Amino acid sequence: MKNVNMLLNKIKELIGGKSLTSDILLGREIVYCFGADLMSDVLRFARTGSLLLTGLTNNQVLQVSEILDLKGIIFVRGKIPDSGLIEEAERRKLPLLASDKLMFDTCGILYSNGLKGGKSLLEVKDGSANNIQPVVSD
Amino acid sequence: MDQQTTFSQSFPIKGGDFVNAGTVSVKIKNILKDIGVKPDIVYRISICCYEAEMNIVMYADEGILDFSITPENIIVDVNDKGKGIENLELALQEGYSTATERMREMGFGAGMGLPNIKKNADEFSIESELSKGTKLHFKVYLN
Repeated sequence: MKNVNMLLNKIKELIGGKSLTSDILLGREIVYCFGADLMSDVLRFARTGSLLLTGLTNNQVLQVSEILDLKGIIFVRGKIPDSGLIEEAERRKLPLLASDKLMFDTCGILYSNGLKGGKSLLEVKDGSANNIQPVVSD
Repeated sequence: MDQQTTFSQSFPIKGGDFVNAGTVSVKIKNILKDIGVKPDIVYRISICCYEAEMNIVMYADEGILDFSITPENIIVDVNDKGKGIENLELALQEGYSTATERMREMGFGAGMGLPNIKKNADEFSIESELSKGTKLHFKVYLN
């Protein structure tokens, strides 16, 4: 199946999720996704500019998002971060979605609709990682 | 320090301070981005710094991250005071972690910290003394 680009709005609809930040951020286009609860795994294996699916709701998801220029976060398993984190994400223009579904099921919905994982920085050592800039900056 | 250093800055990091954890690495990322360093180099250095910073927050009493840029390299030295690392060989193995249950709940303990630094850096060295602390040095080439 061909890799697709998808608006966050469409992603929200597919997973039956709700938006925790302003809907205006849902016009963002997603190319790659990554799912994990451990932040070092995100740093090691996620493609920069990915949409992160996680059950972790503490401040470190924001720091890691900043470091990898992640394009948004879906909190799975009904986890909702505290209002301070949501406000900070809003300030950073980082869209947050929440889903009551499990990690496996949420990932499965997105994958079966054509979204893929992408290769991490370490797997792309030929300099092509530098070409992702148009993808990660809006 | 390298004679050709064009920029350097030291950042103190407190052990156990999970509220501010990660802020030093985000600052460094923004400095590198602002001066126009290539994105893949910015990501690699930021990932290394974040892992080093979290190691201090999780395992040490306090530490300092010295960051410098020369025309050829980005060099980072991280020195902490704390309990040190008992078995360096194991600590460098992917998946090995001494993180507590509480740290795992906070999203740490993947056992990828030091391996992530080693993989992303072009040069990497580590020394540790039990009950004293750990010295970490890494470098990423700009060209």
